[in-house]
Amino acid sequence: MICDAKNRFGLTAAAKTTMLLSVVFFFALLAGEASAQKKFSRTFPTGQNVRLQLMNRTGTVTVEGWNRPEISITALLESPAANIVPQSLSGTIVINLVRDNQGRDEVGTVNFLIRVPYYSMVDIETRIGNLSVSNVSSGLVRAHISSEGDITLMNIGSSAVSAENVLGDIFFDGVIQEGGNYRFASMRGNINLRIPFNSSFKLVATAPSTRNISVGACSGANFSLLGDGRRVVGRCGDGSATMTVTNQRGSIGFLRR
Amino acid sequence: MNCDECKNLISVFMDNELEETQAAGVRMHLAKCADCALVCEDLSSILDVCSTQSASELVPPNSQALWCRINNIIESEVKTVLPVADQPRGRFWHFSFAQVTAAVLCVAVVSSLLTVVAIRNYMQPEAVDFTTRSAATQTTFEKVLSRIGLTETPQQSRDRRLREQRSAIEYWNTRVQTRRVQWDRATRDAFDRNLQAIEESVNDYTMILQRDPEDELSGEMLDSVLNDQMNLLRDFSEL
Repeated sequence: MICDAKNRFGLTAAAKTTMLLSVVFFFALLAGEASAQKKFSRTFPTGQNVRLQLMNRTGTVTVEGWNRPEISITALLESPAANIVPQSLSGTIVINLVRDNQGRDEVGTVNFLIRVPYYSMVDIETRIGNLSVSNVSSGLVRAHISSEGDITLMNIGSSAVSAENVLGDIFFDGVIQEGGNYRFASMRGNINLRIPFNSSFKLVATAPSTRNISVGACSGANFSLLGDGRRVVGRCGDGSATMTVTNQRGSIGFLRR
Repeated sequence: MNCDECKNLISVFMDNELEETQAAGVRMHLAKCADCALVCEDLSSILDVCSTQSASELVPPNSQALWCRINNIIESEVKTVLPVADQPRGRFWHFSFAQVTAAVLCVAVVSSLLTVVAIRNYMQPEAVDFTTRSAATQTTFEKVLSRIGLTETPQQSRDRRLREQRSAIEYWNTRVQTRRVQWDRATRDAFDRNLQAIEESVNDYTMILQRDPEDELSGEMLDSVLNDQMNLLRDFSEL
């Protein structure tokens, strides 16, 4: 009877100890997770002609235009944290994580949030991850993903726009500038371009596999099909700008803005 | 006996050294031929003078001046003869109109071909030329040049371009293979997925072009996806 009571007491103590240790371990784990993610912040005052040039390894990059003469860089770095050494070189802010982490076996994901003046030229690139640019009206917006990831370009008024990826969607929402040059290319994904109804451009759109090219949003268009419908060539309006869209294994669509 | 035979023997006849039969022949001819008889008389008179006068009287008064005059006469005759000697060289450059025309045409054709070859060597066509050119878009001149082997046909250009791209891909792929052991698993998986998607497109366009080599659009797309493959490999070889 006594022995039984001791056993029961002993089991209860062991259970309590186990529970307590579990709680401690859980909080310790949370604290460890929180400390594994680092944050990087830096601000650069800018002049009239400013250019952002970013090359990321893995992670998302979000660039937003704002009404301030400065570039604000915020990055969340997963462990093992990457080296980030931004440089300001004669009006160009250069961030190159590939170069800065050359030779390292493992580098954690880095997610950027960068705010730039509206008139900034934006040239961003990543090996893997999504790219997003919004509210920029400069001479250049270039978004290049070496492999997979979505590209989203919102409220863009630039005269030269280039977006390329291998696997992933591309979405462009903006104004086609007179005499501008626009290039969108994907291997597999959907390319959707939302532009004003009265846009003016020369178009070469190619979707060889799906032959799914929808140009319904263009007014005064004079398009013709080539290569058994694999390519659409023509002119929208007076055709002052040039637009080239290629989607090897996906669709191409124009939406009215 | 004729006159030539007589004249040949007349000097010996005058010296009385001929055989009797030959001397009789000469005499008979001299009796018939007035010309030969005259020659005989002249020779006889010379022999008479020689036999009656001494050698010193026969030498002209100024023999050196005489030789100078003779020499001058000979030189003047030689000078007049010299242009005659150049005549064969002048005839060497005398071509017919057909020959001149043929030569001019040959020079024009050779210089044109050399110009074409030089331009071809020094101005490499852009990438778009390899992909968008086809037999249908070739000019007649280009067709002629490619037929005689001086320029490449569009198919040859495309094949050469593909070989160059494939060798570049092979180079970058080797570098990627040495680097990929250091990548994390997520990076390796992402790379493999994307490379597979590109290779599927490469295979598709290659098959289409095997069926229809004149499909310009597929040729252009194949060039594009091979560039994508090369860029993917190059970008990941830096990681």
